Amino acid sequence: MKWLLLIGATVVALGASVLLGPAAVPLSEVFRSDIVWNLRAPRALLAFLVGGSLGAAGASLQALVRNPLADPFLLGLSGGAGLGAVLAIALHLSGPWSLPLAAFVGALAALALVYRLGLVGGGALDPRILLLGGVAVGAFAAAITTAIVSLADAAELRNAFLWLWGGLSAASWDSVLLVALYAPIPLVVLYAAARPLDLLALGEEPARYLGTDVERVKRRVYLAASLLTAAAVAVSGVIGFVGLVVPHIARLSWGHRHRALLPAAFLGGGALLAIADTLARTVVAPRELPVGVVTALIGVPVFALLLRRWTVA
Amino acid sequence: MLRRSFLLLVFLAVGCRPSGRPADRPTQRIVSLLPSFTEILFAIGAGDRLVGRTTWCDYPPAALAIPSVGDGIPPNVEAVAARKPDLVVLYNSGPNVTAAQQLERIGIRTVLLDMNRLEDLGPATRRLGQLTGLQMRADSLALALDSLVDRPRPPSTASLAFVVWDNPPIIIGRGSYLDQLAALAGARNVFDDVTAPSAQVSLETIAARNPQWIAVLSDSGTPPGFARRREWRSVPAVRDGRFLLLQGSLFGRPGPRSADAVRQLQALLAR
Repeated sequence: MKWLLLIGATVVALGASVLLGPAAVPLSEVFRSDIVWNLRAPRALLAFLVGGSLGAAGASLQALVRNPLADPFLLGLSGGAGLGAVLAIALHLSGPWSLPLAAFVGALAALALVYRLGLVGGGALDPRILLLGGVAVGAFAAAITTAIVSLADAAELRNAFLWLWGGLSAASWDSVLLVALYAPIPLVVLYAAARPLDLLALGEEPARYLGTDVERVKRRVYLAASLLTAAAVAVSGVIGFVGLVVPHIARLSWGHRHRALLPAAFLGGGALLAIADTLARTVVAPRELPVGVVTALIGVPVFALLLRRWTVA
Repeated sequence: MLRRSFLLLVFLAVGCRPSGRPADRPTQRIVSLLPSFTEILFAIGAGDRLVGRTTWCDYPPAALAIPSVGDGIPPNVEAVAARKPDLVVLYNSGPNVTAAQQLERIGIRTVLLDMNRLEDLGPATRRLGQLTGLQMRADSLALALDSLVDRPRPPSTASLAFVVWDNPPIIIGRGSYLDQLAALAGARNVFDDVTAPSAQVSLETIAARNPQWIAVLSDSGTPPGFARRREWRSVPAVRDGRFLLLQGSLFGRPGPRSADAVRQLQALLAR
């Protein structure tokens, strides 16, 4: 029943984001309109894929570091991506894909650094150090970014922050195709780790006694979730709240079994971001709201409501 | 309590301190913290009194010989003070008000002037004329600038959208100087219903409003990077390469050359 509801919500979200927009397109022309076909449809799909990736990445990271505050962007990736993007603008790297590519490389660099920091205690990945390292690397990258922005002459640099704060304006069939080919790999890796993630919730020692290769699972989950997030930030900047709130909402209805939780967080994250982006495009048209504002405005009240219902029950 | 009253007294004393500067003696050492002011000062013949400028002040060429005090966003108060100015001209904005207060506190005279739209040019020019004692030239320049504001708008024969950033798309609305330039050049800004000076919009809104031209500030003279992005090709003007590449130093600021900017825009539209 709840699966039907979730799938229904996803379909409605995708339908609404294709049918609704600031430009008036008559219903009879929806399938022939260039605006719908080349702008709205890829944007709706990209919103769904990015939101889903963030939802799944958030759910698995929260299990990995056993911290409910874990968010895909907490582990330093947003800082790295921002630094990459600002460097691309400062160095005048032109070309249609230079910005997302530089952001992706920046996120990967931050990922590698945090991963290396997480291994300081020897071969074992320490989740606490992963969290602290992520926050530290993120802050360091953000400091360098701000230094570049305030020292460089290029006026465009100030706009780099706009990009970083997230949005799906750059959606095209190219970016949809790219994410659709890339995201399934880490998603499958995460899904394959569903059972060990359940055990990891009991603690590393018990999980080990129950036959889990804890170190391997931690490494895989961390890398897969981070690679998902790096792709998301490259195509859409830092979109907050989806990766933090959606996994919790999913957990309230689907429990702690990751075999159900991960798909639910994926669908829920995708539906939330598709709806949020539709609202961002339409409510103040012809102007547009930053989508992160809308995800927070929807996500937080829903989360509060569910929390209340579940703590009372 | 006693401590607080003491502090209050100190504040009052500082506030009432006689400024001790002759307000009507023309200034001799000026730091200009906005390219528009630098251009106006040169145009009224006060260029040789400038002792500091921002990195953005690149016109007239003689301005480049003046020491720069940084980008001015926000002003580096110490670098400004080190030029020992007797007048600092600042654009009227929040951070600049703070900087002006700091400068006043160390005895440097400041003036904050609006410079957002064409109608700000005349008053600013007259004020700078008073401060420099060059009223005659300032008044005649101000008169010419005011006439640009009052000039009847020609019927619009073309439409355009100013795109200042591509991701997210940021356009220029009615409240801006560039919108005024377009109207004077006979082009309708398709976003003249947006009252703000600039705003984030969806790409599909730009595509649906279908401007004949996409205007961008570009010093390189080459089409912007987004011209090659696939999603932008849904905008017909982008697909057909109808860009108006406007030189930032001329179009990016109101100033004595605003009439030149209108003429150049007309010439570009007539191609």
